[in-house]
Amino acid sequence: MNANKVWLVFRKDWREIKRNWQVLAPLIVIPLIISVVMPAVIMLIPNITPQTASSPQQLEELLKNMPTSLKMEIAGMTSQQAFSYILIVYLLAPLFLITPIMASSVISSDSFAGEKERKTIEALLATPISDSELFLGKVLVSFIPAILITFASFAIYGTVVDILGLSIFSGRLLLPNATWLIMVFGLAPLIALASIGLTVMISAKVKGFREAQQISVILLLPVLAMMFGQVSGVLFFGPLVTAAMIGVFAVVDLLVFYAGIKVFKREEILAKPA
Amino acid sequence: MFSVEAEGLTRKFNTFTAVDHLNLQISEGEVFGLLGPNGAGKTTTLRMLACLITPTEGTATIAGYDIHKDPLKVRQSVGILTENPSLYERLTAFENMDFFAEAYGISNKQERHDRIKEVLEFLNLWNRRNDKVATFSKGMKQKLAITRAIVHKPAILFLDEPTAGLDPESAKEIRDLMESLSQHEKRTILLCTHHLEDAEKLCQRVMIMNKGKCITVDSPDGLREKISGQPTIQITLKTLTPNIVATAKTQNQVVDVKVNQQDSSLMIKVENANSATPEIVRAIVEAQGKILSVNLQRPTLEEAYLKLIRKEKP
Repeated sequence: MNANKVWLVFRKDWREIKRNWQVLAPLIVIPLIISVVMPAVIMLIPNITPQTASSPQQLEELLKNMPTSLKMEIAGMTSQQAFSYILIVYLLAPLFLITPIMASSVISSDSFAGEKERKTIEALLATPISDSELFLGKVLVSFIPAILITFASFAIYGTVVDILGLSIFSGRLLLPNATWLIMVFGLAPLIALASIGLTVMISAKVKGFREAQQISVILLLPVLAMMFGQVSGVLFFGPLVTAAMIGVFAVVDLLVFYAGIKVFKREEILAKPA
Repeated sequence: MFSVEAEGLTRKFNTFTAVDHLNLQISEGEVFGLLGPNGAGKTTTLRMLACLITPTEGTATIAGYDIHKDPLKVRQSVGILTENPSLYERLTAFENMDFFAEAYGISNKQERHDRIKEVLEFLNLWNRRNDKVATFSKGMKQKLAITRAIVHKPAILFLDEPTAGLDPESAKEIRDLMESLSQHEKRTILLCTHHLEDAEKLCQRVMIMNKGKCITVDSPDGLREKISGQPTIQITLKTLTPNIVATAKTQNQVVDVKVNQQDSSLMIKVENANSATPEIVRAIVEAQGKILSVNLQRPTLEEAYLKLIRKEKP
């Protein structure tokens, strides 16, 4: 495999993406909502309108299924502080696993299906770029922007939380903590790679962009399941669980890439009667 | 060794056979035309030869490389103009060319720039190099797609309808380019076209395809002769007299004579035009006929093509 050819595919696609607002908009808007709007709403609304603040009963209900370690962390906090802490530090964490998937889904769905729709695929497939170089180039052009956006979103999220939390938590900085660092810099890239790899494979098989995107939405389900698992107390993203999931997704990524390079065959893309 | 050689090339899509056991041999520097109606299998043949789709059966070698064993080397040796221009509309003309030039192996930036400048200038596109392709007319896109096909100086060119959508001046530019690539640079060109004028002017040989099969392969002249026999001799005179008509009719090899009083001409069908023409001209002059012009009338390639295709229809 020639890394220059992979980089060439990346550069070409990225140039196109930069000039397409339909692709850029979700890359910018969704992370902004997750990293700025959501923490601001969670931390500011109860202070502005006290009637929306949580009661000790509601807190007790929320903590019912939470692990002891979390209960110890919030010991001594007011119910409002505890609510904000649980939401901001624990329950919203899996959103940063979804961020790269959502940010990349438009690009990865478009990778081959978009080229088919715009009738640019034939000239691309006629070049002496190998199947694996093409596949990897298309994966990277989805992965690199998505993961950089995720890191930037995390930095913004942490800053917003710490600034807004200064008065609520009496000067204590909530983020980053070990779990978040492992999740954002370890688990999120691996989950994103698996999702992008599968979406690019789907994009090569289907006829159009919309079809690819509709099918790729299914890939969000496992991450949403993790999120609901955390809310319901079935799964708790502590450092150990997160590290274990990193191991699992590293294996999944290897399988996806092995399958992707084996399964992706350019000859099949045009081998359908018009 | 042939530049392009295919044996038993077949492509099936489920139960439909798009190309059926096609054999093909194209020499180095030859311009070879692939003619046929829509759905004849021309584009599928070209796609198989360019390693864009795999044949169901059969094989081919391109520039000595086997399409099954060395697809990357085949792609490296070939420049292709696809059915659609296949250009990235959000990129500029130069960015498009730069991507494809590098993809085809011109890794040196300065070399790439110089080559792109050379080909874009040749087709009068250099001044528009920084404009997005989306702003180009259909003809300009077609010209840009052709420059993309030749940017890496491929030994073999596969061109699918190269003059489609071009105005007469641009079409001539493209024909001149193909002629120059074939004659001066010894590039082999496989030309898929509906424009029989292109085939007639450029191709040394043409293959007529229908329903995935080869109907015939010949030179345009050979094809015309095969279909319509010997050319007709048209002799225009200053005045046409019964004596001249009678003289023409009594000559050796003359099969039929048609008289056109309006323009004082004779249409003479003969067994062999090359040997009969001087004798007939001499006889008419001896009969006091004043000849203004002598022409050999051949059927056009289009007439020959239509005759063949109609013959194939059930």
